[in-house]
Amino acid sequence: MAAAPKIPIEPSYRDIDRSVLRIMEPASMAYWAWIGFCFTLVAIAAGFWLRQIYSGLGVTGLQQPVMWAIYITNFVFWVGIAHSGTLISAILFLFRTKWRTAVYRAAETMTIFAVATAGLFPLIHLGRVWLFYWLLPYPNQRYLQPDFRSPLVWDAFAVSTYLTISSLFWTMGLIPDIANAREAATGWRKKFYTVLAMGWQGTDRQWRHYSMAYLLMAGLATPLVLSVHSVVSWDFAMAINPGWHSTIFAPYFVAGAIFSGVAMVITLLIPMRRLLGIEDLLTEWHFDNLAKVVLLTSLVVSYAYITEAFMTWYTGDPIEQMTFHMRYFGPWGWMYWVMVLCNCVIPLLLFSPRIRVNLRALWVITIFVNIGMWFERFVIIAGSLTANFEPSQWASYRPSVTEIMITIGSFAWFLGLFSLFSRFLPIISMTELKEGIVWLRKALKMDRVKAA
Amino acid sequence: MSTNPKRAHRERAAAKPQAVESVADMTLQTVAGAMIAIGVIAFASALIRGAAAIAWEAYLVNLLFFLGVAQGGVVASAAFYLTQAKWGGSTLYRLGEAFAPFLWVGFFLFFGLYFGRSAIFPWVTHPIAQKAAWLNTPFLFARDGIGLGVMAAASFAFIRVSRGDDARAWTIATDDIELPPHSIRVLAPLVAVLFAVVYTLISFDLVMSLAPVWRSTLFGWYFFAGAFWSALTAMALTAVVLRARLGENNLFTNPIVMHDFGKMVFAFSVFWVYLVFAQYIVIWYGDLPVETFFIVQRVHHMPWSPLSVACLALIWLIPFTALMSVRAKKRPLILGSVAGLGLVGMWLERYVLVVPSLSLDAIPFGLTQFLISIAFLGAFLISAVPGLNRVAQAATSGEPFGDGAE
Amino acid sequence: MSTIAIISSFADDAQCAHAIEELRAAQVGDFNTFSPIPSHRIEHAIGRKKSPVRWIVLMGGISGILTGLAITIGTTYEWRLDAGGKPLLSWPPFIIICFELMVLFGGIFGFLGVLMLSGIPATEIAPGYNGRFGEDRFGIMVRCDEAEAARVESMMRESGAEEIVREGVQ
Repeated sequence: MAAAPKIPIEPSYRDIDRSVLRIMEPASMAYWAWIGFCFTLVAIAAGFWLRQIYSGLGVTGLQQPVMWAIYITNFVFWVGIAHSGTLISAILFLFRTKWRTAVYRAAETMTIFAVATAGLFPLIHLGRVWLFYWLLPYPNQRYLQPDFRSPLVWDAFAVSTYLTISSLFWTMGLIPDIANAREAATGWRKKFYTVLAMGWQGTDRQWRHYSMAYLLMAGLATPLVLSVHSVVSWDFAMAINPGWHSTIFAPYFVAGAIFSGVAMVITLLIPMRRLLGIEDLLTEWHFDNLAKVVLLTSLVVSYAYITEAFMTWYTGDPIEQMTFHMRYFGPWGWMYWVMVLCNCVIPLLLFSPRIRVNLRALWVITIFVNIGMWFERFVIIAGSLTANFEPSQWASYRPSVTEIMITIGSFAWFLGLFSLFSRFLPIISMTELKEGIVWLRKALKMDRVKAA
Repeated sequence: MSTNPKRAHRERAAAKPQAVESVADMTLQTVAGAMIAIGVIAFASALIRGAAAIAWEAYLVNLLFFLGVAQGGVVASAAFYLTQAKWGGSTLYRLGEAFAPFLWVGFFLFFGLYFGRSAIFPWVTHPIAQKAAWLNTPFLFARDGIGLGVMAAASFAFIRVSRGDDARAWTIATDDIELPPHSIRVLAPLVAVLFAVVYTLISFDLVMSLAPVWRSTLFGWYFFAGAFWSALTAMALTAVVLRARLGENNLFTNPIVMHDFGKMVFAFSVFWVYLVFAQYIVIWYGDLPVETFFIVQRVHHMPWSPLSVACLALIWLIPFTALMSVRAKKRPLILGSVAGLGLVGMWLERYVLVVPSLSLDAIPFGLTQFLISIAFLGAFLISAVPGLNRVAQAATSGEPFGDGAE
Repeated sequence: MSTIAIISSFADDAQCAHAIEELRAAQVGDFNTFSPIPSHRIEHAIGRKKSPVRWIVLMGGISGILTGLAITIGTTYEWRLDAGGKPLLSWPPFIIICFELMVLFGGIFGFLGVLMLSGIPATEIAPGYNGRFGEDRFGIMVRCDEAEAARVESMMRESGAEEIVREGVQ
């Protein structure tokens, strides 16, 4: 019955708290400069958006038949990124995966801000943004209602549900940690955390309800993850355009979402680990496992590309074959091969255990994955539209300054929010790390043995 | 016995079971042999009296179903290594691998299809010029034969390592941080990747090509996901049966083991129905005749419509509702019934995929098809006997299991 | 006899759970615990029934499905648009909406249910709460008569309590 023997190199609960709470101490000038930089880019993007609202969508490069291009690509890209957070926090929770604890809060935070970023794009894409509420069903004197047989309406429901549920799940997980932070804080931070923690005191009654609700929400979030990106993929698959109408889209997009999302988690965590000094808590083992998820989903995505290519030939449909011929060898063919290189070839390096734990190499690989996945969405969405059924309608598309600046702004918005959060609220779940402390000590020991 | 469930589980595990060497006695082997003999006679008589089509249909459906179970089991074992599943000790891995010998049986039986090719493949009697480069007899049999052969060889290489001392020691080590032995880390992903590729190919060639105009990019994934589920279900059913037959304190008497089987059957049945919906809604919405006819024939028109509904009920609705609660998953009677019904459902699903392309207006199922199916079942059971003996030995060896989580 | 509160703190949840088992066996007063993590051992030692949050989530899910059906069927009948020849009441799209709303309502009800059942937002600090219980100590606060106090304290000490504090309570 004695307390676990405390060896200095093995962390105790208090060591965990200190490591995580230390991140939330007042930040340096460099940090504020970074935040300033991000939000300056956001302000510039907002300016371009205002100009677009004023002048109309003509300031973009959109033209028939390519009416969906960069904005929708960004939308799908960000929703995809969001999925990995829920995978790590909810699905791996149900599998009782041990290595999830140190990374899940950061991943889930990424989810919230990615969905928030994604949700802007359908609005940006509306010419008359102020009429967005027409998407919602409400009684009106002209008896007009959204058409529930349209995939765009399913999308509105799915993404809103996803944003809400992710936020609730994230908030629930944060409450005990904020309560912990409240104790150690002083001054205005103490007031801030006290309000946010809502009086959580970790009584048995509270934990009992919390644990059950957490399990149920994880159980709800799991099918939600599958459904949301499936619904997003059905925005395209429901059409009969070649290149879009394909039954494999739903699970293929979900796998692609997890692929780009986990890659983005790794891209964010590796610098974060260094900048925030949490190397002890985010060990190589965590990245090894994250990299394996990236590898698995890369194989799934490659499988989908090959299946689609085969099926195009197999159907013998001349229009479908022309669309894919354009995709592989047309004016934008270079994008397709960049995509194949980044998504299918480069991740094969992750078969090597040494590369998986080489954080520099891993970081570069995940950057390539994100580039590849962005191009994949663009190739599918805009590429399929450029050359469709009617050759006289074929047209190209070139993004305008507005679209480019808004795209850059969206990345800055995401990174800025994520960076803000990481300094003001616990970016690693102290509660769950403590729960999994036995495993954490083993992981650290292995890490140190290997380093020695 | 302690009231703490985890501690009770360990105490129960510590109670030694009686070792069982063999689970299948001569009765099983004799009966299975008789089943095979009768089936072969039925098959031959159908060929002789000119009803070749129905014989070969039954042959193909059963080949697809039983190969799927056998291969899915090996893939399940590989997947357990990759996810570091220790909840069933080494017994779990032996259970997945138990059905593997049928892979070689299936491999040879696949070549048997050559003799029935004109009865099964419409493009043999009416070649399709545009697809002839892919759908022609030599190429099809070569690629699928090589695929199944490579798959079987890789599976057995994997099984040999999995039965080795290193792997076995890993499966019963309660330390949950060490990775499995190196050769497993190579062979398990290989088996998993090959499964996806080969079984996609098999589904395109042996099922989709029976309606050569039809296409669905999801079909391969849908097919092998169903095969994987049928394997998990077969493993769950075997676990329930062995639980009763193996005497006290065998590993399957542990409710946590039953719970985990129940969770797997539940979860993958939901995944299967998700794939069904994903395929259906795209085809429904697009309403392209070249795609819809396949679904309409099977789901919306008589006489196949009730069978499709039955498949949905057996594979998804019943497992979903019956296995939702934690308590139900732990009850062997419920898990066993659901698993049994599920296997019938998946067999029926293979039937509904294959046969309407060959015989649309009536459901051909008579004594001949029944006996042929029984023959395949007999062959499957006989080939599983050595594997099941290993499972019995592992389940009654009293070895530790679980990840030692406190 | 006045009621007093005895607050003990433990470094390890196994010790805390053991103390709780003793307390329950001795049936002395009532108690609540504080812990930095949700410990299965402690939860099991306390032995209360499963949380009713699951029923709240179930209710939420069912109301989500019903709302989905109401919205989709209701609005379709309100404006009978022939879209692509699809039937007015097409179940595949409606299933999607019902599913999403089931998850949405289930989640919202569950979250609100947790807040309500846990008594948060709470404006008062529970008596006996100490910042360390959020960090790395497990605490038990026992309310009992002064007469029982010594017995309770010795039970706590035997189970390995690090610190025991007695406080008067009104």
